Amino acid sequence: MHDTQVLERRLAVPSVSRVEGEGRLEVVVRGDEIVEAHLSIFEVPRFFERLVVGRDADEVIDIVARICGICPVAYQLTVAIAFEHLCEVTLDPEVRRLRRLLYWGEWLQSHALHIHLLHAPDFLGYPDALAMARDHRSIVERGLRLKHAGVAILELLGGRSVHPVSVRVGGFSHVPTVAALRALRPELEQALREAQETVDWLATLSFPGFQLEPRLLALSGLDGYGIDDGVIVSSDGLRLSPDAWEDVFVERQVPWSTALQATDRDGRRHLLGPSARIVLGGDQLHPLAADALGRVGGAERIRLERFRSILARAVEMVHACAEALELIDAYQRPDAPRVPWTPRAGRAAWSTEAPRGLLFHRYDVDDAGRVVAATIVPPTSQNQAAIEDDLRAFLPSVLSLPDREATDRLEALIRCYDPCISCATHFLEVDVQRLPMAETPG
Amino acid sequence: MAGHASLPIVDVTPPLTAPPLSVGVVKLASCDGCQLALLGLGPLLLDLGTHFRIIEFGEASSDRSDGPYDLLLVEGSVSTDEQAHHLRSLRERSGLLVTIGACATSGGIQALRGWARDAVAPSVYPEPTWVDALPTVTPVADHVRVDAELRGCPIDGGQLVELLTALRVGRRPQLPDEAVCAACKRVGTVCVVVAHGEPCLGPLTRTGCGAICPAWGRGCYACFGPREDANVAGLAAGLAGRGLDDATLARRLSLFTAWSAPFRAAIDARGGPPGFPTTSADATHASGPRATDVPTPGA
Amino acid sequence: MTTGTTRTTDATPAMDPLPVTDATRWWLPRAELDRLVALLRADGRTVVGPAFEDGVVVYREIGSAAELPAGVTDEQRPGRYRARVSTDDAHTFGFAASPTSWKRWTFPPSVELGVARREGDQLRFETPTREVPPVAFLGARACDLAAIAIQDRVLLGGPVADADYRARRSGTLTIGVDCATPSGTCFCTSMGTGPEVVTGHDLALTELDDGFVVRVGTTTGRDLVDRLALSSADASQVEAARAVPDRARAAITRQVDTNGLSERLIANPEHPRWAEVAERCLACTSCTMVCPTCFCTSVSQVSDLDATSATSTREWDSCFTLGFGAVAGGNFRTRRQDRYRQWLTHKFGTWVEQFGSMGCVGCGRCVTWCPVGIDIRDELAAIAGPPPAPAIGTSLPIAAAHPGEYVVATVGSVTPETPDTWTLSLHDVDAAIRAGQPGQFMMVALPGFSAAPISISRYRPDGIDLTIRAAGPATTALTRLRPGSQLGLRGPLGRGWPVELADDRDVLIVAGGLGLPPLRPLIERVLADRGRYRTVRLVIGARTPDDLVLRPDIERWQARTDLDIGVTVDRAGSDWTGPVGVVTQLFDRTAIDPVRTIAYVCGPERMMQAASRTLAGMGMLPDRIYVSMERHMECGVGLCGHCQMGRFFVCRDGPVFSRAELGDTFDLEGI
Repeated sequence: MHDTQVLERRLAVPSVSRVEGEGRLEVVVRGDEIVEAHLSIFEVPRFFERLVVGRDADEVIDIVARICGICPVAYQLTVAIAFEHLCEVTLDPEVRRLRRLLYWGEWLQSHALHIHLLHAPDFLGYPDALAMARDHRSIVERGLRLKHAGVAILELLGGRSVHPVSVRVGGFSHVPTVAALRALRPELEQALREAQETVDWLATLSFPGFQLEPRLLALSGLDGYGIDDGVIVSSDGLRLSPDAWEDVFVERQVPWSTALQATDRDGRRHLLGPSARIVLGGDQLHPLAADALGRVGGAERIRLERFRSILARAVEMVHACAEALELIDAYQRPDAPRVPWTPRAGRAAWSTEAPRGLLFHRYDVDDAGRVVAATIVPPTSQNQAAIEDDLRAFLPSVLSLPDREATDRLEALIRCYDPCISCATHFLEVDVQRLPMAETPG
Repeated sequence: MAGHASLPIVDVTPPLTAPPLSVGVVKLASCDGCQLALLGLGPLLLDLGTHFRIIEFGEASSDRSDGPYDLLLVEGSVSTDEQAHHLRSLRERSGLLVTIGACATSGGIQALRGWARDAVAPSVYPEPTWVDALPTVTPVADHVRVDAELRGCPIDGGQLVELLTALRVGRRPQLPDEAVCAACKRVGTVCVVVAHGEPCLGPLTRTGCGAICPAWGRGCYACFGPREDANVAGLAAGLAGRGLDDATLARRLSLFTAWSAPFRAAIDARGGPPGFPTTSADATHASGPRATDVPTPGA
Repeated sequence: MTTGTTRTTDATPAMDPLPVTDATRWWLPRAELDRLVALLRADGRTVVGPAFEDGVVVYREIGSAAELPAGVTDEQRPGRYRARVSTDDAHTFGFAASPTSWKRWTFPPSVELGVARREGDQLRFETPTREVPPVAFLGARACDLAAIAIQDRVLLGGPVADADYRARRSGTLTIGVDCATPSGTCFCTSMGTGPEVVTGHDLALTELDDGFVVRVGTTTGRDLVDRLALSSADASQVEAARAVPDRARAAITRQVDTNGLSERLIANPEHPRWAEVAERCLACTSCTMVCPTCFCTSVSQVSDLDATSATSTREWDSCFTLGFGAVAGGNFRTRRQDRYRQWLTHKFGTWVEQFGSMGCVGCGRCVTWCPVGIDIRDELAAIAGPPPAPAIGTSLPIAAAHPGEYVVATVGSVTPETPDTWTLSLHDVDAAIRAGQPGQFMMVALPGFSAAPISISRYRPDGIDLTIRAAGPATTALTRLRPGSQLGLRGPLGRGWPVELADDRDVLIVAGGLGLPPLRPLIERVLADRGRYRTVRLVIGARTPDDLVLRPDIERWQARTDLDIGVTVDRAGSDWTGPVGVVTQLFDRTAIDPVRTIAYVCGPERMMQAASRTLAGMGMLPDRIYVSMERHMECGVGLCGHCQMGRFFVCRDGPVFSRAELGDTFDLEGI
């Protein structure tokens, strides 16, 4: 399997590239034994759970967006929905439509970015998309057009694609006219065609055969692909309300990372993201997306083979475009952009699906509607433990390679999860003090 | 546009035939959203390579370089000693250093932590000797010389392009220092203060965003930070009794550019940011350490 | 007036050429208003009118009369606007001024001026063809029509007409509406502009309950009436219509006393109220942007990544921005109070001398849309005191049609003058430029840079010289040009030194630092025809010997016997043997005859102030002392507003002024 002459070997990627945020990969192998395999997140914590204390819901929406520049909408809408549940706000159905459309915009731009600018260069052997574009310009340009289609949705509904400004509890600060929304159609029609082409192009890539039975977790939608509502389901039969994540899962501190890791109370790890959603919620895919999934061999290989997550992401782009077009066609401008609501004390909690997986928020709120305490669990802190399991399983296949090649492969595996490391560093407080920031093996 | 109101920047007038400038993009404490502005340039992104050599951009490329850089774009604020050291060494390896975004330019949302050091920190942190975290989160210019700044949370892609093309041409980037109101009026957005009674920080805030918030039905929250000559007291007096009492003004200012000098002074004068009371009697408001987080390392 | 076609730059600047006097009143039933809209649209016009959007009456393109804001009323007071749909009143025009003004169409917020291209060593400056679809304004109030007339005078009535504005205005058709519903911020009655539509309209409507009484203002309007086959209004309708503006007039209760207002305002530049209002003012620019007459603009450059082309775009600017009065190395109006005074004194004071009326029509927009509710009616009353004298008006200069476009010239040689100053000798210069006058200047452009105003420092038979200090990026780039490089020139611009006044007089020429180059053509003109003048004295100052420019010329002049020349420096080095001190120390009281002398002074503003004071102290009259002013300039032809200084635009009316013309403001801070 491998034939290494050194007794102890260290493989390190001091700063994982083409991911969002700052993470480090550290592996120590002694003989055949993997001593350590850590995805160490050294992104400096920004203490968001502390920053939102004293704030009202709409302020929290603005603040938590800044956890992540790639998926701010997921953060914003999770807050909005959590407070709407607490305060029993009934949304205008047209507002719900726009909310889903906003989500699809974010998914489309995030997935197109990840596929073309971050991940595809691994499959084609380039350091980055700019280099890749010198040989495959039309593919990269198609990816940029797909990304822009998502950006166009975000800009119309939220003013800008990074940290859009319109999400409010009860609806939006502003809703577009029917004509403005319809004007998105041509670009999205082209995006739908090009998303389908992207699926077919990706299917021609060769995927490392690395397989592992995963435990998956995703939101399964009740009336559509799960993003903003539904049931949290797992591959081993869990069913949980989106506000009840904490009933089952806990976050733990590990010494080598500034991000918490989430597992269930028995320490079992789970994987989130496009592959999990395709497997657990595939029956809710738009027919065109289901078609695309069929063309790439169905969900089963995606479930087992991590490197096929890029296919799941592309299938979801097809879904995003297809459902976005339907939402646009059905839209009627609501009478008011948002409904009035009254704050109340209690626990505002919800889960939604960010492009890279389920996130959970919980806010303890006082009578004035201000946050007293907060817990924010981003997707990457849930994925992190499972990623490390996968790394351990994957390692033997690269140990025979020279260091640089081996670490490249490991980095490529990490990119399969689209880790969003800035998000992962939400945790606050103290335990950092009791433990060294990073453990130096040996 | 008041093109002459550009931020002072060192004069860079390379001959037009100069070899491509080498560019680095690095981050400190931040959300990566401003780096996304570079990735969001669309087709222009693919042509950047003709005129610039992007030698360090971890979010986008596996090819890495420690410099030297003709132009270094820095995202994020300084919140650890290690970052401060790193920044100083980056400065030595950079020709022009340009901050991108509210974090790098004025500390960002995480700079609110700076208000916690007296009253709140001891109540939150059992061991106040916090490993490797500085008591305040500070902008890049507090640590090294900054040649130009792109404002905003996030920055505006158009201003980024303007910076790059201005460097190519050899002139100052046109980054107007005027109120958001001017942009609202040019766009044709009706004033939310006058027409809807919605408090708005636009009169204090530098343009560059395209005056998004008022066009989307809400008051400006100053993510581009204070413009020169920001008349905070005038706004406070003018909107007092119209939905902007002192506490509300402090709350509104206490977001992404709160740590900028004019806003910080105005916040301090109005009792501090929400959640970070400036008197210790109120300190109980803050949340305590989370109990479930005690780990068993290694698992 | 043609319909259904586009107008271009070359079209006649036709406000409708045929106003008609027609006492007939026509009747347009409410239900048929849409026929009018449809007719205008069928003629190929974009119909712009009021619509109720998100709680505000805005002007926008109207597809049919159904989009008009029937039943909407508004309430306006300083810093507050609320509009609502009234259930008991279905009038179409039942509101007061909208936050939108029609200048959005006649003078849009952003206009592309041209593209500068670089192809190898060659430069090309391209001006776009201005094709503007014809627009019909539906529902303009009398105050708004007065504002359009004011902008016509500003942008079309000067020596240079604004090409874009002319193209847009030549395609406008206006349907005015008598104001029936003034708001709490209106004061058109004080400004003499409303409430009834008297002039500037093709058609004017008076709204009654069931329709509109129509008056015809032009042949174009008459044509519309004919094609709509309107019947005459009956006597009761005419009577009811007559009462409408009377009721509006009575509803306007707050007045501004305009009697002698300009003089009272200008007479109070140091009033404490300026500083007080500046504490309330946010300098947010809202007042100037909503004002239907404010016309100041700035030009920005957008370059492409390979720096081969740059697009110049003109955008609305405001005298309230800090950058508005900035020049390389300084700013003329750093304090908010300077900028507030600049705005108000221009609007109600110096505008009269420039354009024959005040720049205010009493629409109240600046009062309503000030976020902190500053009311100019209050400020005027506080600052301008009681009226001493009647107002005056002046006649306007005649419009010339030449807008001034860039021509390309080539750098022949580059001569260093000081460590930061070079003289560019230009070849291939247009004959019209070589025929310029001493003291005139050029707008000098490179692709991607803002154009810089540069005085001509020498006229040669085959070209001109420009002496340029590298003060900012544009001037730095200019000084880095090499022989063979091209640059763009527009000019010669402005009013130069009045050499003709020196005949048979003693001539005193005073230069400080970089003030010498603009004087050199004057000196050479004088020396070339030396016999026309009596004594000629030249006093040159610089900070240090190293800062002296044009040294070969100075040496040449020093060698002449028919010229008295003194050179002084503020700080001398070891090898300096000449005088040390400021230029005024070289004014020889015994030699200068205050009656017979004419003085031409150019240099830093403080130096010019000091020199003028000294010369006045010797008994020289202020109309014999000429100075050349520096201000922020963008257009060079009196259209962008930046260099406005009292009743002058420095670029158009100067840069050379007599001390008498500048008056007391010359010595004030922040003008």
